[in-house]
Amino acid sequence: MIVTVTLNPAIDEEYVVPEFRPGGWFRVSRVQRSPGGKGINVSLILKQLGVETAAMGFLAGFSGEYVRDVLRKAQITTNFLHVRGETRTNVYIVDEVGKVETGLAELGPYISEDEIARFLSNYERILKRTELVVLGGSLPPGVPQDFYCELIRLAKQREIPTLIDAAGAPLLAALDEGPTYAKVDQRFMANYEGVALNSLDNLIEAVQRVHSHGVEWVIASYRTYGNVFCTHEGVFLAEFDRKGIVSMFGSGEALIAGLILGGRERMETKDRIVFGMAAALENALHVEKGIRDREAVERLIPRIRFERLL
Amino acid sequence: MRICEVMDRDLTALSAETTLSEAIEILTRHRVSGLPVVDGAGRVVGFISEKDIVKAALPGYFDYLQDPSFIPDYGQFQKRLKKIGKDPVSKIMAKEVISFSEEDSDFYVAITLIRNHLKRAPVVRDGILVGVVNRADLLERIMLEEESPSFA
Repeated sequence: MIVTVTLNPAIDEEYVVPEFRPGGWFRVSRVQRSPGGKGINVSLILKQLGVETAAMGFLAGFSGEYVRDVLRKAQITTNFLHVRGETRTNVYIVDEVGKVETGLAELGPYISEDEIARFLSNYERILKRTELVVLGGSLPPGVPQDFYCELIRLAKQREIPTLIDAAGAPLLAALDEGPTYAKVDQRFMANYEGVALNSLDNLIEAVQRVHSHGVEWVIASYRTYGNVFCTHEGVFLAEFDRKGIVSMFGSGEALIAGLILGGRERMETKDRIVFGMAAALENALHVEKGIRDREAVERLIPRIRFERLL
Repeated sequence: MRICEVMDRDLTALSAETTLSEAIEILTRHRVSGLPVVDGAGRVVGFISEKDIVKAALPGYFDYLQDPSFIPDYGQFQKRLKKIGKDPVSKIMAKEVISFSEEDSDFYVAITLIRNHLKRAPVVRDGILVGVVNRADLLERIMLEEESPSFA
């Protein structure tokens, strides 16, 4: 079983506004509510691709109930710890005309030491029948910055591969522990070990450095519609054009879900990257987060431009 | 219909060493009336419900009373509840657990729950917890289903 860990889930509220600007007052042309947080998104998208997962982390209050309810209806296995407070709400404003997105993220509920200990005991229990752990997103208040390290260490002790999709201090700490896959979320990370993540050359240098720390697969986004991949087979760039794109929201997780499926089916590195990117593109073609189905993803494969950089 | 289509794939569970006060907190926080008790591998070893806890906090002679209006006063109940709060779940949990497999039919599960006065029960695969069934969910499902031949 694949286990996804979302320590700080959210309700994602996506508002589509014809032309958004700060200081204005707008009528929303569409609103989309869905449970969110990177791990949960990966679980939902893998389900759409026909892969079973178990989602775990912390949930709280009414928002937490909502998240659990949606996962339950999607028949996804859950093992969340319910805590005091309220699961956060993240607001995204999609400007239809300018094609830009604005995001507002809450902090999330406070997690006590007892609750962390309880979570760890659930985690260790589920690891006994886990084939891959996906760790994603920010940490809620109360959870130590190096918590992902511990989760990776516990998985590694049982030779279970790990994938981390995070940013900032929690990601940097986790990289020391050598996860199998790491996706660098550049929205919240401007540089790595002093290398500014702005040009392609710098990005290549950064992903190679991360790779040299023992991370088998490093993924970092490049511009808006591309990603750089560093594996033991080389460094690759995959991109798609912006035609038909409505919202990139959730595309990072669609990419991860696609790569995981590719890994399970033992696809070649190139095919795996292209499939993952096609999943990311499919996710971006509509406001609803997630993908329609596998066929829809496969139809988009010709739109992915793949290139070996090194 | 198979139970795997109706069950709640939630793995929330207690361990045998969990204290009763912690169990009460988890039951409240998760808004459920009972939870499976599992070992380190996720194998179901017991089940505890709020009813078991209430029973444990009442004096031994309570079983012989027909009418709950004989419950001793609030102070005594609270004192006993606090006293047993540090006890492990294993002390009062049901050790003979009625559990189901994912392939069981919804009718079979519903009738078994009703016959045994159970609201919730674990669903297992090779003894490992994979979810729970709720009587209310089953009732709703059965109500919506097409009428079928009577269950023997």
